[in-house]
Amino acid sequence: MSISSSARKTKQVGTTAAGERTAAAPITLSERSSNGLALLRILVGYLWFQQLFWKLPPTFAGLYGYVVRESQHAIIPGYGTLLQHTFLAGCPSLSTPTDCTAFVPLAACVWTAELVVTISLLFGLFTRFGAILATILALQLYIGLAYSPGEWIWTYGMLVLLALFLVAVPAGRRLGVDYWLAPRLQSAAQRHRWARIASWFV
Amino acid sequence: MQPLRRGLLAGILASLVLAMFDFVTVGAPGNGLPAALHWFGIALADPTLSRWVGFFLLIVLGGVFGLIFGALQRDKLITAGHALLTGLALGVLWWLIFELVLTNIMNHASSPFSLSFGRFLSSFPLDVLFGVLLGAIYVQLQGRQAAEAS
Repeated sequence: MSISSSARKTKQVGTTAAGERTAAAPITLSERSSNGLALLRILVGYLWFQQLFWKLPPTFAGLYGYVVRESQHAIIPGYGTLLQHTFLAGCPSLSTPTDCTAFVPLAACVWTAELVVTISLLFGLFTRFGAILATILALQLYIGLAYSPGEWIWTYGMLVLLALFLVAVPAGRRLGVDYWLAPRLQSAAQRHRWARIASWFV
Repeated sequence: MQPLRRGLLAGILASLVLAMFDFVTVGAPGNGLPAALHWFGIALADPTLSRWVGFFLLIVLGGVFGLIFGALQRDKLITAGHALLTGLALGVLWWLIFELVLTNIMNHASSPFSLSFGRFLSSFPLDVLFGVLLGAIYVQLQGRQAAEAS
């Protein structure tokens, strides 16, 4: 498996004599390495899968405490205020989301996004899309929680890095649905714009 | 014979992935493995032994499903799409038999098909993943053997 993979195919490397001297050798992953990456992808997917259960719908109660903490300890100025005046507006308690109507749509979006990440990474289905979404979710957690009391900053830092790693490599093309999807999207990309865009995400 | 051997290996490897999940579970590692024993009404008093026997039973069941997968191919070379779809169907069958019907029967539930959202969410994706992995590993093994033969 070649590590380069998007439909806007890679530029030719080292086509001139001068280029040959300066160009880096192309990186090719062995089948064993590709399967190892796929296993890593599945485990990261399982990590996200496990996190669905402590904030189940319809109340998403487990998430509430974390959103409150984010509103108090976010590292970006104004982020906490934004949360307090939108999704936590009018919430009577800091411990339970009872009568907290604006919190539910936020929690539903977060839970759904995490479900999409889970499906994408576990099954290797549009893996890079899932990894991009995981990066955004993990970055949001880093901004909100990394510096809150009792947290180790690298917990969320590593979550961001893991997700970024899966954006960089096509980890769904072994032991995943992208194995089947990628060649089809790449051949369709010559004719259809949507296929070209979709092929960026496998 | 080749498809059966490939199927068996694919099934064992796919079930190993499922078993691996139980080593990053809440509580003690391997906590969920005795569930495989529970499907057949087996209960062992020793928790460590129960985990090990559950682990081996899971691998054996994976192997059996792999053999079924191999037998369905009838000595034909199959495409990736066909392998993934067949695997997916076997994953759903695994979920129906073990996680739904047998679990409900062993728990004396009101119906063999009773199901909560939480139980569906915790079991269905992983069993379907088993099926997808079974198909994906099978087709990769088939590709490797074809490459070696040529």
